[in-house]
Amino acid sequence: MEVILSTLINGLSLGGIYAMIALGYTMVYGIAKMLNFAHGDIIMVGGYVIYVSMALGNPLLAILFAVVFCVLLGMTIEKIAYKPLRGASPLAVLITAIGVSYLLQSLAQIIFGSASKMVTVYEFGMVQFLGVNVQVSALVTLGITVVVMIALTLFVKCTRLGRAMIAVSEDKGAAQLMGINVNGIITVTFAIGSALAALAGLFYLLKAPSISNTLGAMPGIKAFTAAVIGGIGSIPGAMLGGILLGVVECISYKITAIAPYTDAIEFSILIIILLVRPTGFLGKKRREKV
Amino acid sequence: MKNIKFVSFFLALVLCLGLLAGCGSVNYAENNTEFILGVSGPLTGSAAMYGVAVANSAQMAVEEINAAGGLNGVMFKLIATDDMHDATKVSTNYSSMLEAGMQASLGTVTTTPGLEFKNLSADDNVFFLTPSASGDKIPENPNGYQMCFADGNQGKVAADFVSANYAGKTIGVFFKSDDPYSKGIYDQFKANLDQSITIVETSFTDANTTDFSTQIDTLKACEFIFMPIYYTPASLFMTQAKDIVGKKAVYYGCDGFDGIDNIPGFDIATIPQEITMLSHFNSKATDGMAKEFIDKYVARFGQETLNQFGASAYDCVYAIYGAMKKAIDEGAEISVTISASDLCDILMAQFQGGYTLAEGVTGSNISWEASGYVNKGAIKYIIKEAN
Repeated sequence: MEVILSTLINGLSLGGIYAMIALGYTMVYGIAKMLNFAHGDIIMVGGYVIYVSMALGNPLLAILFAVVFCVLLGMTIEKIAYKPLRGASPLAVLITAIGVSYLLQSLAQIIFGSASKMVTVYEFGMVQFLGVNVQVSALVTLGITVVVMIALTLFVKCTRLGRAMIAVSEDKGAAQLMGINVNGIITVTFAIGSALAALAGLFYLLKAPSISNTLGAMPGIKAFTAAVIGGIGSIPGAMLGGILLGVVECISYKITAIAPYTDAIEFSILIIILLVRPTGFLGKKRREKV
Repeated sequence: MKNIKFVSFFLALVLCLGLLAGCGSVNYAENNTEFILGVSGPLTGSAAMYGVAVANSAQMAVEEINAAGGLNGVMFKLIATDDMHDATKVSTNYSSMLEAGMQASLGTVTTTPGLEFKNLSADDNVFFLTPSASGDKIPENPNGYQMCFADGNQGKVAADFVSANYAGKTIGVFFKSDDPYSKGIYDQFKANLDQSITIVETSFTDANTTDFSTQIDTLKACEFIFMPIYYTPASLFMTQAKDIVGKKAVYYGCDGFDGIDNIPGFDIATIPQEITMLSHFNSKATDGMAKEFIDKYVARFGQETLNQFGASAYDCVYAIYGAMKKAIDEGAEISVTISASDLCDILMAQFQGGYTLAEGVTGSNISWEASGYVNKGAIKYIIKEAN
């Protein structure tokens, strides 16, 4: 029982991180109709900003810096790399995104070297939770994720800007005719996604105080998987997919016989979902242009 | 028409093969003015501490030999290339070193790239003596030798230690399941372990994994945890586990642990558990060649990269030098422009023929088995930390 509970909590907190990253993927896909493969590397940038600004000694300030820096970076990338490709073939945008991803990784390697850096943001310690010893950072991660998720859903549903986002995601052309600044909306989407990625970077540092230039690579791919499982373009879907993937990962690591195949198992779920329900759990059915 | 196409394709293939065959006979060393040794290792990246130590120490040995007059007046030169512990970088490194005139090699610093290197060097018949690529298959070809203990040997020694001290108990194992180094040691460990001991095992695969909460949770009740992994993930595991795993627990690692007390930002004193490792080099030695080596190394490169990898590389250079010297004394011709393949034949004859390095930093009376595995004195258990 204790084992199940502690695995579940670890899984939920890891899933929370995946969900956080998947949200960025899914929002950008939903609105700009592009897969931003550089998204995972924003996590890494966020981590490094925290690492550098921890020199000031204030964790909260460091987190603020990281969020602001990532938002600006996300908007800049969108402006320089993706905006000129608006209307270009999806493949061109995809390859550009992969290029941006490598650019960020290589820049980080040039600046910080390829050896991982250790940085302790804050030590929360342990707490007794339902009779199980739990790392407080796991609970904090889970808590912040849930709050962000609710806030984001409310933002999209209840504000003018949010509703404009939905409009753009449903029909770009019509939204533009109704007087919505489509480019502005896309920029805002990138800003929100990047802020979430910066938070994900923080969560990684809370879990393990180490950062390297490839920190974002695997989580980025896992979160993309999560977004597709949940139904890409759907906010609750990203949450669901992320949590599911995190829990599966932790359970799989826990079972000795299948532990070495954990990554394979996670990606197999993706394949099965794509075969059985290509739109993901909560994805909308779309007309396919062939 | 179809037949002509097939025939021309076949002819083109034959021509290509002819080109490839030509490669083997080129002597890239024909313009050498000094004997050139080459090594490929992680000079940057997460295992950089090992590669840098090897490059520094081998350079130190080369300079010492040169200062003492070289080999009958001919100087040595070391080329160190960076593979970032990535097997895909090895082939480029290898050819660039060979084309620069490399005549003998220290192989690679780590096992995974080494598995690539052993094949490349066997094709060209290039001698290598690796300081630290400990994989069981590394010296599989007749041109390859090891200065470190092979993984199988490390796993067996660790199993003997655990069998003697933890009979009837439950121990934990944390390893990297897709890494030949880690899995190689663990497989031998498991095979040699006393039947009365129960193993709780947990693993990881992605080299970028930083979060080990599930693995720690699995091992939290163990009082002995065997970790045949490199120091970076080990240090992360220990940092995250310090309040979860029992304070009396022992972390036991192999040569991959070397340097764990020198990681920037990781203060080993904050880890309450004991950290022990298996080694052929005592970095706190107070006498003998080891002490001399430590003093020289620290004075020149500082404490941070002092580890057994460097010590072993230092011995490798002296072993190659010694074998060349012995061959010359026995009447062999070794000119400065000797091809790598010719030198390989001479060195293989020495290493197969009972050549012994009398005194080294990592042991004395070091000799080699026909298999390429090293034969040297007892292995020490160095306790790095116990509080």
